[in-house]
Amino acid sequence: MNVYIKNILRFCIIVILQVFILQRITLHWFTEPAGALFIPFVYPLFILLLPFETPVWLLLLLGFTLGVTVDSFMTTAGMHACATVLIAYLRTNVLNALMPRNLSEYINQQPSIKNMGWMPFLVYSGFLIILHHLVFFTIESWSFISFGSLMLKVGASFITSMLFIIVYILLFTRQNVSRA
Amino acid sequence: MRNFILIIRRFFNLILFAGLEILCFVLMSHAHNLQGDEIVSSANTAIGIIYEKKSDMDKYFSLGKMNDSLLNENMRLRKMIDQYRTVDTLKDMPVRRELASSDTTTHVVKYADYIYRTARVINNSVDGVNNYITINRGTKDGIVKGMSVISGTGLVGRVEYVTAHFASVLSILSNKQQVSAKLKDGTFKSTVWDNEKPEVFMMKDMPQEAKIKKGDSVFTTSFGNTFPPDVLIGTVSMIEINKKNGKQQLYLKPATNFRSLQYVYVLENLMDAEKKQLDEVPVKK
Repeated sequence: MNVYIKNILRFCIIVILQVFILQRITLHWFTEPAGALFIPFVYPLFILLLPFETPVWLLLLLGFTLGVTVDSFMTTAGMHACATVLIAYLRTNVLNALMPRNLSEYINQQPSIKNMGWMPFLVYSGFLIILHHLVFFTIESWSFISFGSLMLKVGASFITSMLFIIVYILLFTRQNVSRA
Repeated sequence: MRNFILIIRRFFNLILFAGLEILCFVLMSHAHNLQGDEIVSSANTAIGIIYEKKSDMDKYFSLGKMNDSLLNENMRLRKMIDQYRTVDTLKDMPVRRELASSDTTTHVVKYADYIYRTARVINNSVDGVNNYITINRGTKDGIVKGMSVISGTGLVGRVEYVTAHFASVLSILSNKQQVSAKLKDGTFKSTVWDNEKPEVFMMKDMPQEAKIKKGDSVFTTSFGNTFPPDVLIGTVSMIEINKKNGKQQLYLKPATNFRSLQYVYVLENLMDAEKKQLDEVPVKK
């Protein structure tokens, strides 16, 4: 499948998943006494899974588009866009640090468990996701007054988001490994 | 100048990043005043259309729940109407019937004569001579033989047999029961069903002097002790004059659509036992 069509489709699927299904799931696992609710965010996955050689300016623009789309559905003007643009900017640096070869050598490939391995992929996605959550929830609350509750929210939301992301990866990765 | 362009090219990504972040913060800061809200919000047209489609879809899945809640709402409203009906206007001050409540923790005074219970129709017939409707409520839910059953639009029938979880209701489409009915001016007579169609009822031999028009409503009376008063039975659809004795024959269209009955209310008359007791006292001459 053409890489453009593939990514446009993924954009649509992830936004629909996020806005229509995950937005409905409000969790309060550990934040019960504080009563703070949080939603798992899966949409940054779109930025994480773009091909290796995507230039940074395109990543930034795509991140902004994705963020604004999610924002307009959730009526949180600019908050998601802000966090998403940040991880889109840092993505290339993180990948450069994790990958053994230069990024331009991976032609027509996207970050996945297959060509990165489990551990580097989890470090890569985990780092960017926790950064995204940290920025988003900080902007959302716009103060450090209830710092503990904020961190709790970030942590709990991060764990759920990562669970969803791993499930997504397992579901949508083609398994062509013959198990001998 | 060349250096300036070089710097821009060198730091293009950083500048773009900073620009976009600034744009985000501008959007955020505008979000709290009315004008800025329109740029990015779920009120804008495209998103609005998508949300509307989704809500249409959601609505379809929650129809059952909505129906149940409407039914309960109706029950509550009917109960409220009943409270006004029982105020005795013959006296200067309203006579209130206080009924003992089983709940002793809160002091609840019930004024209404009727308790409404909702039920779903699980089996229905309209073709027999005596037609029965099965509902999903039984003795466990407090249903007793003889309670009257009404639908949202009009009279349905009377509970005939009860088991633990189900009850069968003899509908007014039956030879067995005649319903005492009255017109708006108070002329009363009983209705009969001619076994033909669930859309036609008859009131035979109405006196000549009763002024009846097509479209008049016919209500139940409380004379038979079986049904609550003032429940709509149907409307007059045709008037025929019997040439032999000059009396009027009324054809009624029932208010309840028996073919598509889904939800009904079962009414418990709290004054029923008292009334029956009175009727059973032998009249001394």
